Amino acid sequence: MREPVIEVRDVVTRLGGTLIHDGVSLSVMRGEVTALIGGSGTGKSVLLKEIIGLIRPQAGSIRLFGEDVWKAGETELMALRRRFGVLFQDGALFSSLSVEQNVAAPLREHTALPPKDCLELARLKIALAGLPASASAKMPSELSGGMRKRAALARALALDPELLFLDEPTSGLDPISARAFDRLIRLLSDSLGLTVFLVTHDLDTLLAMVDRIIVLARGKVLGQGTVEELKKVDDAWLQEYFSTRPRSAPDGS
Amino acid sequence: MAEPGLRIRQEEGATVIQPAGAWILARIGEFPPVPALPAGAKIVLDGSAIDALDPSGAYKLLDGLRAASADLARLEPRGFAPPLLQVWRLVAANLPAAQAAPHAPRGLLHHLGLGAVAAGRHVAGFTNFVGRLAAEYLRLVRSPGGFRHREFVAQLEEIFVYAIPISLAMIFLMGLVFAYLMGVQAQKFGANIYVVDGVAAAVLRELSPVIVAILVAGRSGAAITAQLGTMKVNEEIDALAVLGLSPYAVLVLPRILALLLALPLLVFLGDIAGLLGGMLVAKAQLGLEFSQYWDRLDMVLKMPTFLVGIGKSPVFAVFIGLIACRMGLSVARDARSVGLNTTSTVVQSIVAIIVLDAIFAIIFVELGI
Repeated sequence: MREPVIEVRDVVTRLGGTLIHDGVSLSVMRGEVTALIGGSGTGKSVLLKEIIGLIRPQAGSIRLFGEDVWKAGETELMALRRRFGVLFQDGALFSSLSVEQNVAAPLREHTALPPKDCLELARLKIALAGLPASASAKMPSELSGGMRKRAALARALALDPELLFLDEPTSGLDPISARAFDRLIRLLSDSLGLTVFLVTHDLDTLLAMVDRIIVLARGKVLGQGTVEELKKVDDAWLQEYFSTRPRSAPDGS
Repeated sequence: MAEPGLRIRQEEGATVIQPAGAWILARIGEFPPVPALPAGAKIVLDGSAIDALDPSGAYKLLDGLRAASADLARLEPRGFAPPLLQVWRLVAANLPAAQAAPHAPRGLLHHLGLGAVAAGRHVAGFTNFVGRLAAEYLRLVRSPGGFRHREFVAQLEEIFVYAIPISLAMIFLMGLVFAYLMGVQAQKFGANIYVVDGVAAAVLRELSPVIVAILVAGRSGAAITAQLGTMKVNEEIDALAVLGLSPYAVLVLPRILALLLALPLLVFLGDIAGLLGGMLVAKAQLGLEFSQYWDRLDMVLKMPTFLVGIGKSPVFAVFIGLIACRMGLSVARDARSVGLNTTSTVVQSIVAIIVLDAIFAIIFVELGI
């Protein structure tokens, strides 16, 4: 059966004296596309950073593929990092490297492949991310916002991860590019069996491609489920969030 | 997972290729090569023995088949487990062209040309910058109310006040070292007292103005470029322009004027520190009493010596300011560019200081000062 890929148990986070998470627990199953939503300042991005091992929570445990991120040694952590990819909000492409070198960077660091093979595989990932081949040799500063996201996605996919983290994947994109990006993520998730965990504000993304939503509010998980299930939850913020759009379901999906 | 393998057999007029085991990135070094295939033959890819397949593995297999001159369009996959078939299809549909055209190696002439164009653009950009700044300065002179006092004072604090300890320490040590070296020579001739003449001329005319200018170029010039560059990257410069504020008036002029005031003041303090350093060595090494030192100084140190040194510093200041602000505002929108331009500021400023100092030396010698 499906096993949990991400398991967060009773996480407590305090940053600069403010209590951000007060016992957050959630789990994400293999092959699922799960979205984390919540108002500004509810610690969505902080939770994401805790899961990928960048910020240490004060209490609680976080397990990826059954391994505790914050108890793992350096070697185990490196092995874990090979198994997931992260798409940062603004892409976080290395500005001194071309797109293909950016995508090849994880391959160079984590595999013993010769540079030529790394670049070949990088070009495959660039194509998978829906970028034209001509984008490979460009520098990140020459790309538009949408292309930058795709290049960053290609880098996140470089090591053929089983798990993909996306921080606000559609922010800063026009609606057309945003929907195309959603479709791409869904396609990759379905074709490659990727587990996807994303932080988002975009209601269209939730309606179009997400299997399950987790709502973070007041330091706890307020509820989880599909859009329809969450609409029944009695919470002012959640009600207002869903009422920003009169339509209840997207057409044709 | 089983080792990746590859079997080929003939079957009903078709060549059946049967990869086996794990075709994944972690095993990529163990993939067997695809042998040459008869051209134009019907090829069937039997995926029933594959345990695991990821995009890298699928790519390597496809690339191998392509290199073995198989017609990928007519390739027929069969027997794949449904999830693996999806991976296969996705990669087959997005296969990048075999070989991206390698960048043709560029000759010396090409680089020389690029360098010349870049240098030309740099000079043109700099001229433009100076012109705009002059126009902005004229506007400020006409309506002095628009001057950014707060920014000016903040910059003065940054460039002058916080640089006092390090400039004092550096010029003090320079005076000390210079007096010591002079003293070693002077003692041979019993000309101890002339050390005072040498220290006074060296510290006031050259050491203090040049060392302080280099210090400020490295300290404040780099800071200005990095700050303006980061503001440019964050679109803060654009935000200023949209508010109807000129970045030249708000950011550049206060910095250049602060440098213009700070540098002569630092040089003056440096002069004092250098003379004090010389005085200590004169007493310790040469046995000159402090009073003797001051009497001699009073006798030999003429006003022009002091003015020559201090008069050079505003010129240095303007060049440091122009270079630092111009490099800051010409940062491209990425992190690397901020670093490159900051380095460039320090190098350009120091070169400018040394060149200007040489020009001044020639002028003063010709004028007989």
